[in-house]
Amino acid sequence: MYYIAMVDAEKCSQHKCNICTLYCPEANTLMFDKAKNTSWVDVDRCKGCALCVYVCSDLLNRGCISMVMAQAKEA
Amino acid sequence: MSLKYMTPTEQFKKYLPKDYVELVDYGPFGKSQDEAGVNNIGQFKEVLEEHPMCSGCLMAYFIRVFFAALPNPEDTVTLGTAGCGRLAISQAAVPFIYGNYGDQNAMASGLSRAFRLRFPDKKKDVVTLAGDGGTMDIGFSMTMHSWIRGEKFTTIMLDNEVYGNTGGQESGMSPQGAILKMAPEGKKFEKMPATELAKTAGCVYVVRISPTNIKKTAKSIKRAILVAREVGPTFIHVYTSCNIEYSIPTEEVFKDAKDQEKDRFSFEEYMTDEAREVIERIEGEEKKAKKAKKGARKEEVVS
Repeated sequence: MYYIAMVDAEKCSQHKCNICTLYCPEANTLMFDKAKNTSWVDVDRCKGCALCVYVCSDLLNRGCISMVMAQAKEA
Repeated sequence: MSLKYMTPTEQFKKYLPKDYVELVDYGPFGKSQDEAGVNNIGQFKEVLEEHPMCSGCLMAYFIRVFFAALPNPEDTVTLGTAGCGRLAISQAAVPFIYGNYGDQNAMASGLSRAFRLRFPDKKKDVVTLAGDGGTMDIGFSMTMHSWIRGEKFTTIMLDNEVYGNTGGQESGMSPQGAILKMAPEGKKFEKMPATELAKTAGCVYVVRISPTNIKKTAKSIKRAILVAREVGPTFIHVYTSCNIEYSIPTEEVFKDAKDQEKDRFSFEEYMTDEAREVIERIEGEEKKAKKAKKGARKEEVVS
């Protein structure tokens, strides 16, 4: 079990912002959906460093991203 | 675009790895920086793939930005040496050459000369990315000599101030007093003045940066590569902290980079007059092209 980042899409889509996607150390992981105006996380690639949480909560004071326990996919 | 021959036919696509097909369909090849650059990173398929670097590694972050900022990824070759960085650099869809420890600048000298002979009509970029050990300790002589000879390529030092993947030995770039696993009494010597050495050895464009501002970082990378094409050796000294050896909690990695920006890694940009001319010329042309594009769009709207 390990932590991964989770974006609250409803909260995120209220802002005109894609700053967190610019600060993820992993490639193709924290992506931006232009149509829905929200960031989203590729859960298989996230290493759980919480850098995006720092950017969203501490730097921008928006708090759209939280760390959650990764759940095993049901077969 | 020179990668046409790598584009698969529709019928063959389903047999190829998903990542390859995605890179062909949504990758940055053949696109401009406005379409697939650092500003819209996360909205296209990046050339960098999954890599085994640690969680929250700032070096991995810089490498991601580096690949997104490349002005010409299809005609670029990267060279590296032992160290953390090559774990990610080798996972990109950009040719990567891995040599003996510290000889990346010697290899790059030969390679950039060969490219100029073999492809006189093309612009091929050569970039070496190595750690502080590979550039300033073990590869020191080869780095310095390539600069003194005025070889036309870009050298990037990923400075994590420690030998990260061999257990935490002090390097020439560790700050004085740094207590590390294999330097328990603290480092007794000063940090090497890398940017000063580069200027003295003849680098025409030198930058010291902590990668907290993505646009500024990308601009420096682009400038260094464009200047190296025409004038001479360029050097970027970038802070890429080791959160394992310096015990930085991953969520504070970015804060630490910001602190270092005010301390050892204050932004510094040096260029010779010749390099300035090249930068002003290229950036001026880009601005003109952008204005013309905007004007054309306005006319379209009016008509």
